[in-house]
Amino acid sequence: MTENNKQKIEIEDSYDVVVIGAGNGGLTATATLAQNGLKVLCLEQHNLPGGVASSFVRGRFEFETSLHELASYGPPSKKGSIRRLLEDKLKTDTNFVQVPEAFRLITTDPEEKMDVFMQFGVENFIDTIEKEVPGSRKSVEDFFKIAKEIEAAFAYFGKTKGNPDQGVLIKEFPNFLKTAAYSVSEVEVAINMPKKAQDILNGYWAYLGIPMSRMNFTLYAVMVLSFAEIGGWIPTNRSHGFTTAIDAKIHEFGGRIEYNTTVDKILVEDGKVVGVETSKGDKIQTNYVISNASPTLTYSKLIHPQSEVPEKAFKEINARIHGLTGFVVYAGLDISAEELGLTDYSFFIMNNMDTEGVYDSWRKLEAPNGLACTILNNAVPDCSPPGTCILDLTTLFRPEAWKDVTPEEYIKLKTKLAEDLMIKFEQATGTSVRDHIEEIEIATPATFARYAHLFNGIFYGYEPESWDSIVPRLMIMGKDVHIKGLEFAGGFGRRLHGYSSAMNDGVLSAQLTLAKILKEREKA
Amino acid sequence: MSKENEERLNITVKSNTKDLFAFTKLLPSREKRIERASSEPITEDLITDLARKLHPERQFLVIDEIKEETKSTKTFKLVPDPDSKTRELAYFRPGQYLSLKVELAGVRITRPYSIASPPKDALRGFYEVTIRKEEEGFLTHFIWDNWKVGTKVESSGPEGFFYFERLRDLTQIVGIAGGSGITPFRSIAKAIINGTIDAQLTLLYGSSEEDDIIFYDEFNAMEKDYPDRIKIVHILSCEVVSLKNCETGFITKEIIEKYCDVDSSAFFICGPQVMYNFVEKELGKFNLPVKRIRREAFGEVKDILTQPDFPQDVAAKTFKIKVHIGDLTKEIPAIATESVLIALERANLNPPSKCRSGECGFCRTHLIDGDVYINPVSDWRKGADKKFNYFHPCASYPITNLEIKIPREI
Repeated sequence: MTENNKQKIEIEDSYDVVVIGAGNGGLTATATLAQNGLKVLCLEQHNLPGGVASSFVRGRFEFETSLHELASYGPPSKKGSIRRLLEDKLKTDTNFVQVPEAFRLITTDPEEKMDVFMQFGVENFIDTIEKEVPGSRKSVEDFFKIAKEIEAAFAYFGKTKGNPDQGVLIKEFPNFLKTAAYSVSEVEVAINMPKKAQDILNGYWAYLGIPMSRMNFTLYAVMVLSFAEIGGWIPTNRSHGFTTAIDAKIHEFGGRIEYNTTVDKILVEDGKVVGVETSKGDKIQTNYVISNASPTLTYSKLIHPQSEVPEKAFKEINARIHGLTGFVVYAGLDISAEELGLTDYSFFIMNNMDTEGVYDSWRKLEAPNGLACTILNNAVPDCSPPGTCILDLTTLFRPEAWKDVTPEEYIKLKTKLAEDLMIKFEQATGTSVRDHIEEIEIATPATFARYAHLFNGIFYGYEPESWDSIVPRLMIMGKDVHIKGLEFAGGFGRRLHGYSSAMNDGVLSAQLTLAKILKEREKA
Repeated sequence: MSKENEERLNITVKSNTKDLFAFTKLLPSREKRIERASSEPITEDLITDLARKLHPERQFLVIDEIKEETKSTKTFKLVPDPDSKTRELAYFRPGQYLSLKVELAGVRITRPYSIASPPKDALRGFYEVTIRKEEEGFLTHFIWDNWKVGTKVESSGPEGFFYFERLRDLTQIVGIAGGSGITPFRSIAKAIINGTIDAQLTLLYGSSEEDDIIFYDEFNAMEKDYPDRIKIVHILSCEVVSLKNCETGFITKEIIEKYCDVDSSAFFICGPQVMYNFVEKELGKFNLPVKRIRREAFGEVKDILTQPDFPQDVAAKTFKIKVHIGDLTKEIPAIATESVLIALERANLNPPSKCRSGECGFCRTHLIDGDVYINPVSDWRKGADKKFNYFHPCASYPITNLEIKIPREI
């Protein structure tokens, strides 16, 4: 480029807040701040909003990248937090539909064969499990009673702004207190739930991706309750539909998103955020950063100079257990769901419900013992042309399983794994889909690392063992700020992973940052 | 109320005291775990390393060798530029392309070129791209005049979806190529021979001049050495043909039937747009399922005025585009018959682009105001992008004054 031709396109301004990443948490944080009149800039390395919440087009198909269903959307008569956020608060132009059933759970091991169709509704859960496992009714009812108490306890936490009265907690929410430190398995055993009833009720476990012996009960119980009570919902235009709608609102509120812009450095001086620098040479002044990147990446790679990262922050990321990455086969089939004889949207296909065993299978580069599948047309009938359907098969992996893969063996490996998953799906559902593949893409951990710049491709955050689950994370809120002006938002945040959690966490981080800025302004 | 109290659950996991104690210990035990942990940063990220090897944002290359293929065609052998950070070349799938960046007269533009060499050669340190000099169009003339051994060329990683996928495609591949559209099939043929892909290739190759057939000897040799895997049929459209064992005219239904088992083949088409129009009509006569015919994106439409739904009344007009990029806002001229991408490149705004066919979405841009014409065959936008007024400048033409916001080049 000749000198006189050079045009200055760098961003030089200062901003009240810079948000790093336009994933689910970054988007809701940016929108919330912009709506409240702050000058906010969101920097996103990809050329699309959403992070893993996106879509892509191949041939006649537009595929959803990662969403199976939102837990906190709900019908207009019983709005969940995400519907309230998108519809009432941000007033985004989005359209969601409820998926037809909770799930179809198929276990394939001969000695543990099961094929359970679960409808939404707490009563349906209780009745279905009772039908499958006579005598289980009381235990499943108890599960939901505790779950409701936990939900009420969270509402009380919110009302008291995180400073609950101990006496009230003990009196009103004893079961919440008494289960908060335990795993799902521990509590289910304590309420005398028969093993097979546990297996069915644990159907959703892969959404959080940690064995039931380690998964914190509180988190799982509220998620199951939310699905049972208000259903699972998905956007009719894939995740790209609502992420683009939030982007449009950010623009309308006077906020700004810059795509194709990677943050290289968060500049810190004397323990305080003072700015960011990007791959495009932008130098932006700000005293507040909300990072939608994981704390692991943020502390290890972004804070500059590294000497500004307190020891405690590094200890924290080392103490926590990094969650799972994933593997998805996206198939556009030239046969309709009806012709396949499948009316269900969501399938959980597991060899068995030994969640530790399935999790262990994700440590190896072999056909995994568990997958979660969707047929999008059974929720959004016109998502692909007549006579076709979109089948997604998702499984999970420990990132370590992929660490020695070389580029040369990569395509063969992912093709083989995809084939194994398709065969598993065919065997479990008694269908034949491989002859009907018109379009196919296979996303691996490296794909998620490529597009969303996720550390080790990890799209679930830190694992929710009880000591690091939602209750302790919410209880230390405000006390875990290691660098002044730095907050986090997203799946590695206080509400843990999943779309709804990440979005709600973004709002919370924005509110905390907003409160600090307003306080400062008051002082000044 | 009393009934509710009776029914009120009071569960015990271990014992009442232990359960409450476990709760009060949640935070202290978390603190203890953190205190015991390492205080080192976590820098090893092997999955991201793999992703970068497979999909580098940029590859800095240098021309190592130039081979004259025909009177109009050269093959450029590209190797990592030793003065750059590029040490190894990204592996790829035969049929994929590189988006090469060319700077001419101070303006940076991109062009997608299929990789003509097989993936194994990338591991040995080189790619080959074979380029035909076009009569019209300034770029290939510039390349002919300026690309020498030692010239540095900036490239994207391997891109595109025009490749054999064994889960989807029948293993009998029928390639239908025209002109320089043969280049991806050279990569595919070599990958078949060296075992990277397990398939057979019959290539129906249309050329317009018999002394300008690209890879003529090379394909003949491959066919001779691997007759069970590689077959080539030349179809010549010139008036006088002296070549033996070839077909004349165009690639018709009859020629396809003569050389291929239509019912057990996967068709891959790559060539100029006019060839697509013709071949697709011929293939249409077989009523094949959509999945059996795959097309490489053919790049920018050569003459947009030939599109029947293009608004002819704006054809001679030049519009203004108000462009927002980074902190810059600039008004630039744009000719109705040229893509918005070309206008952005002419204005030296270095916009992002890769496929130049509407397909990859890398140039995705927000249309704030105004209207563009989008060729229906190049419209690969997502549903929500249509709804919220995003478009792909490489496949869109200004038909009013515009205001747009484009992302900067990555």
